[in-house]
Amino acid sequence: MPGSEGAGEELFPESCFALALRGSWTLAWGLESHPEILRGPNTKMEVFQTLQRLHMTIFSQSVSPCGKFLAAGNNYGQIAVFSLSAALSSEAKEESKKPVVTFQAHDGPVYSMVSTDRHLLSAGDGEVKAWLWAEILKKGCKELWRRQPPYRTSLEVPEINALLLVPKENSLILAGGDCQLHAMDLETGAFTRALRGHTDYIHCLALRERSPEVLSGGEDGAVRLWDLRTAKEVQTIEVYKHEECSRPHNGRWIGCLATDSDWMVCGGGPALTLWHLRSSTPTTIFPMRAPQKHVTFYQDLILSAGQGRCVNQWQLSGELKAQVPGSSPGLLSLSLNQQPAAPECKVLTAAGNSCRVDVFTNLGYRAFSLSF
Amino acid sequence: MSAHVSIGGIPRIGIMESKDEVIRKRLLIDGDGAGDDRRINLLVKSFIKWCNSGSQEEGYSQYQRMLSTLSQCEFSMGKTLLVYDMNLREMENYEKIYKEIECSIAGAHEKIAECKKQILQAKRIRKNRQEYDALAKVIQHHPDRHETLKELEALGKELEHLSHIKESVEDKLELRRKQFHVLLSTIHELQQTLENDEKLSEVEEAQETSMEADPKP
Repeated sequence: MPGSEGAGEELFPESCFALALRGSWTLAWGLESHPEILRGPNTKMEVFQTLQRLHMTIFSQSVSPCGKFLAAGNNYGQIAVFSLSAALSSEAKEESKKPVVTFQAHDGPVYSMVSTDRHLLSAGDGEVKAWLWAEILKKGCKELWRRQPPYRTSLEVPEINALLLVPKENSLILAGGDCQLHAMDLETGAFTRALRGHTDYIHCLALRERSPEVLSGGEDGAVRLWDLRTAKEVQTIEVYKHEECSRPHNGRWIGCLATDSDWMVCGGGPALTLWHLRSSTPTTIFPMRAPQKHVTFYQDLILSAGQGRCVNQWQLSGELKAQVPGSSPGLLSLSLNQQPAAPECKVLTAAGNSCRVDVFTNLGYRAFSLSF
Repeated sequence: MSAHVSIGGIPRIGIMESKDEVIRKRLLIDGDGAGDDRRINLLVKSFIKWCNSGSQEEGYSQYQRMLSTLSQCEFSMGKTLLVYDMNLREMENYEKIYKEIECSIAGAHEKIAECKKQILQAKRIRKNRQEYDALAKVIQHHPDRHETLKELEALGKELEHLSHIKESVEDKLELRRKQFHVLLSTIHELQQTLENDEKLSEVEEAQETSMEADPKP
C-alpha cells in the first residue's frame, strides 16, 4: 500500500482502515480530492507529498519588513515564503499561490515566528533561530544564528510557544514549556532575565506598550503582567476564578492574548472576554462557544479565530459583527499585514489545521488561498 | 515622392510621405468622395476633347458641361474642407472634456482619501465610546457612591452613640463597685474591731479568773 514505509505522521488513522478494508482506499486516504493520484502509476514521493499536505498544520505566520512576503511555519518544521505582491497582482496565476521557497528550518514544529526589520526569528523545539530576510529567498539559506535559553535541567528541552519583540529594549522574549519567560538581548544574544511565576506552560505573550509590560497567558489559567525593568510580576488575573467567563468544561487554559494598553482580550478555555486592566474587571464577554486560539485588536474591532472555520469580527460591545468562513477546519493564527512600505498588500491572512493560508483582502470575504 | 501631392482635390503638404502612406490616405479619402478622382480625370479628358473639337455648338455644350463638372468639384472640395474644420473642432472639444474628466477623477481620489481618514477617525471614536460603555456597565453594577457614603455616615453615628452609652454604663458600674468596695471594707473593719473587742474582753475575763484562783493558796 502506498505510504506504508511509515514516513510521515498519522498515516493510519483508524477510520482509514475501515474504509480501506471495504475496498475504497481512495476515500480512506481522502484522495478523491487529488485526482492526479488516481490516474496511472505515481511515484511514492508524490503520494507521500500529498499525504504530508493533508496532515499539515500551519502554526505560525510572519510578514516581511517590506510587506511583500509572508512566511508560514508548519508542524513538520518547514518554513514556506509566499510572495504576497505576486499573488495579489492582477496577473496572478496558480503558481503565484505556491511558495517562492520552502526550507526545513527546525526538527520539530515551528510554533512561533516574528520579524524584526531585517531578520525572521522562528522558534519551536526549544531553540530560536534567526534568518535574514534578504537571503531567505535564495535556495539553501542557512540560519544566521541559533540560541537556546538556559533551561533548568539539561535533559528536557521544552518547546517555545511564543515569541515577542520588545522594540524599545531591542530584546526578544521567549516563553513556552518550562513555565518561564526568558528575555534575550538581540544585539548580544545573551539571556538577561528569566521571569518565573507561572505554574504550567505558557501559551501566548502580548506587549503592553505604554508602560512596558509583558502579558503572558498559560495553561494554569492565569494572565500575568510583568514589568520588564524590575523583572517582577505586577498583576495577576486568574480568569477561571471569575464566574462570568469561566467554562470549567473547557478547562482553564488561556490560549490567546491581545492587549491595547488599557484593555486586554483573552480566550481559550474560559470564554473570550474583554478586560479592563487597571481595575482587573471583565467588562464584555463575547458569546463564542468554541475556544479561540488567536485574537487581535484591529481598528475598532476585535478579530478572533479558533476551533471552527470562521474568522470572527466582534465589536467592543460584545456584538458579533461578521463571521467570515475560511478554508481550514480550524484556525490557529491570524496575521495582519500593516507594513507601511506595501499598502497594496494590506491583507489579513489566516492559517490553521490545513496546508492553506487564507488571504482576506477585504474583511468581508475570503479572496483566495495560498497553499504549501 | 513630391512635396505637394494633390489627392482627391485636397492639397496635401506632406514632407516625404511614403508610397504606402499615400495609398492609404487616398483609399481613406476616396471612400466618401464617391469618384472625385474619376471626375477630375473625366474633366481633363473632356477638356482635351473640347480643345480638339470642331463645331461651335458642340464646343459650347461641352464647355457648359465642363463648367458644371468644375463647379461640382469645387462644391465637393468646399464640403470636405468644412468637414475637416468640423473634425478639428470636435477634437478640441473632446480634449477639453477629457481634461475635465481627469480633473474630476483626481478630485474624486482626493475625496476618497479624505473619506478614508474620516472613517478611521469615526472608528476610533466608536471604539472609545464602546470602551466607555463597557466600563459604565461594570460601574453600574456597583452601588452609588453617595448612598454608600450616607450609609457609612449613619453607621458611624450609630457607632458613636453606642460607644457613648457604653462609656456611661461603665462609669456607673465603676462608681457602684467603688461604693460597694468602701462598704465591704468598712464592714470588715467593724468585724475586726468587734472581734478584737471580744478577744480583749475574753482575755480580761481569763485574767480575772486566774487572779481569783491565785490568792486562794
